[in-house]
Amino acid sequence: MSALGDLGAALWSLMTPTMLFHAAWSTLLGIVIGSLPGLTATMGVALMTTLTYSLDSTSAILVLICMYVGAIYGGSRSAILLNIPGTPASAATSLDGYPLAQQGRAGYAMGLATAGSMLGTLVGIVLLVVIAPPLAEAALNFGSFEFFWLAVFGIVISGQLTADTTPVKGYIAGILGLMVAMVGSEGIHAQVRFTMGLPELNAGIGLIPAMVGAFGFAEVLNAMWGKAGVLATAKDKSDRILPRLADLWRYRVTVIRSGIIGTLVGIIPGVGEDIGAWASYVAARRGSKEADKFGKGSYEGLTAAETGNSAVVPGSLIPAITLAVPGSASSAVLIAALFIHGIRPGPLIMIEQPQFISSVAAMLILATLLMGLYGMCLTRAFVQVLRVPYAYLMPVVFVLCVIGTYALSQRMFDIWVMVFFGVVGFLLRQMKYPMAPLVLGIILGDLLDKSLRRGLTLSDGDLAPFFLRPMSAAFVILIALSVLANIGWVRRRIAALLSRGRTRDA
Amino acid sequence: MQMSLADRITAVALAALGLSMTVGGWRMDRLEIRQIHPASIPGLVPMMLGALMVFCAALLWRDATRNQETAAASILTNGSWARLGLTAFACLFYALVLVGWLPYMWATALFVFAFATIFAWPEGGGRPRQIRALAAAALLALATAAGSAYLFSEIFLVRLP
Repeated sequence: MSALGDLGAALWSLMTPTMLFHAAWSTLLGIVIGSLPGLTATMGVALMTTLTYSLDSTSAILVLICMYVGAIYGGSRSAILLNIPGTPASAATSLDGYPLAQQGRAGYAMGLATAGSMLGTLVGIVLLVVIAPPLAEAALNFGSFEFFWLAVFGIVISGQLTADTTPVKGYIAGILGLMVAMVGSEGIHAQVRFTMGLPELNAGIGLIPAMVGAFGFAEVLNAMWGKAGVLATAKDKSDRILPRLADLWRYRVTVIRSGIIGTLVGIIPGVGEDIGAWASYVAARRGSKEADKFGKGSYEGLTAAETGNSAVVPGSLIPAITLAVPGSASSAVLIAALFIHGIRPGPLIMIEQPQFISSVAAMLILATLLMGLYGMCLTRAFVQVLRVPYAYLMPVVFVLCVIGTYALSQRMFDIWVMVFFGVVGFLLRQMKYPMAPLVLGIILGDLLDKSLRRGLTLSDGDLAPFFLRPMSAAFVILIALSVLANIGWVRRRIAALLSRGRTRDA
Repeated sequence: MQMSLADRITAVALAALGLSMTVGGWRMDRLEIRQIHPASIPGLVPMMLGALMVFCAALLWRDATRNQETAAASILTNGSWARLGLTAFACLFYALVLVGWLPYMWATALFVFAFATIFAWPEGGGRPRQIRALAAAALLALATAAGSAYLFSEIFLVRLP
């Protein structure tokens, strides 16, 4: 009851003209950014961090959360109309959304995507309110040993699940991120490392310039390198926008299942919305009576994908707030923004700011309501947004990358960092290296470094507590299992053992 | 370029990076003068990361030669080199040369105008279409330069470069 009361109070506190205004414009901007191929949610949140640092903390966090929710939802527009996901999160949406658009049901597909996104976010919000407080309390018992393994777990699992071709590339991206975090003054003895004589690197490489580069400039290069899509203009007179309640009721199990899967995927460190959407889509296809329609314009497939990717947003905030370990690349930027605004995410959040989780949940609810409103009212208008040529869009995005990065600490050096990460990010992406583990590495590098050395100091150099404390042991087993599962001969051995067992049973 | 070749080149570069990080960590000051615990030396994690990177680079090299399907895939083939080159040149010239050399407003207006004109130029279009493209680029350039300069200098109180 108290949680509900806190949530109600938090929601009420957002009902001021200023807050509603901030929520309204940022959600709309998020949808526009998400719907434009080449502009991702992470890029939107990173750019917006540079634009909101002068706002008070509540307004700034509201703007960033609305931007995040809006952008993930907005990606469905271009996925349905262009067959190009506006953000990677909407890749699964295009499988059924685009065939529906080609059949003249683009409006209904967008309406269904809106309803799915709203329901997914709401399921995620419920789980955020239920899971986050006990998780934060449990994390209070974490020591250096557990935090070390938590950081390792984040990198390993993110590297594994986000890699496109081989998990090795995911691991490499994670290690590169950790290496970036090693630059500058370290957190225990203040020893300056790997600065190559550049005093600008003494404080380390800023996360925001690196993120704006890797997700902003790299996206500009990516967009200009690739080909533009063809707008699906086929339109049926009978096409409606509001989804039928009967359709939503028929897919209620899919919605709840996808919402839960999306949230759980969000909780896993560094595994973003795209994985949430795919996992929900695959689960829906397995459990569907109309599995043969999937990929050919299935309402259920579209609902599953959109519910799944939107549920990741609240899910990814659960570890971000309670453990300071981001659940997705966008929530990594949110963590950096929280620090800028004087909020310290981590296990102490329930002691220092016990209302914060309710406050975030209320912001998510507001963003969801606005997303639904825009989704239903502006469906046709978003089609026009997709007609904006890259020639006019990309220079404006790059100008914001440059001036936004500069504005944070007013150093030209940060612009160079942004450019460097942009070029590296573009090349890595072309070679199929995932970006999420890289970002996670930059965020978790400090935690991993300090926790390992602090733990070793506490145990006087003894490695036993790293393996024998119950939570540490659980993390070690999880990490070992997930790494072993990727080794070919281990997988073959297990498969052979299992098949031998089955034959014996038969 | 084939993925296998790109992966092998990357593997060598990453191994070199890993090796240099390990050496850098090993040679880093161990702060004996401050009598810190030997297990908390600042070079410990860099050394471990460097070694891990060398190991992963070796795995990448092995995968590049073993996995025929992914090795045969090609990279940097699905787009336009001309567009990429022009974009990279314009962006780098703006970020690394123009900003800081010219006042921010001028640098931004010049960059946006050039970018929009190059990529929105109506090839084979008549004079009126070309004039329209120039006017649109000029309008966008002025709006972006003046708008961003006002936002950052007047509202966020940033001293522009």
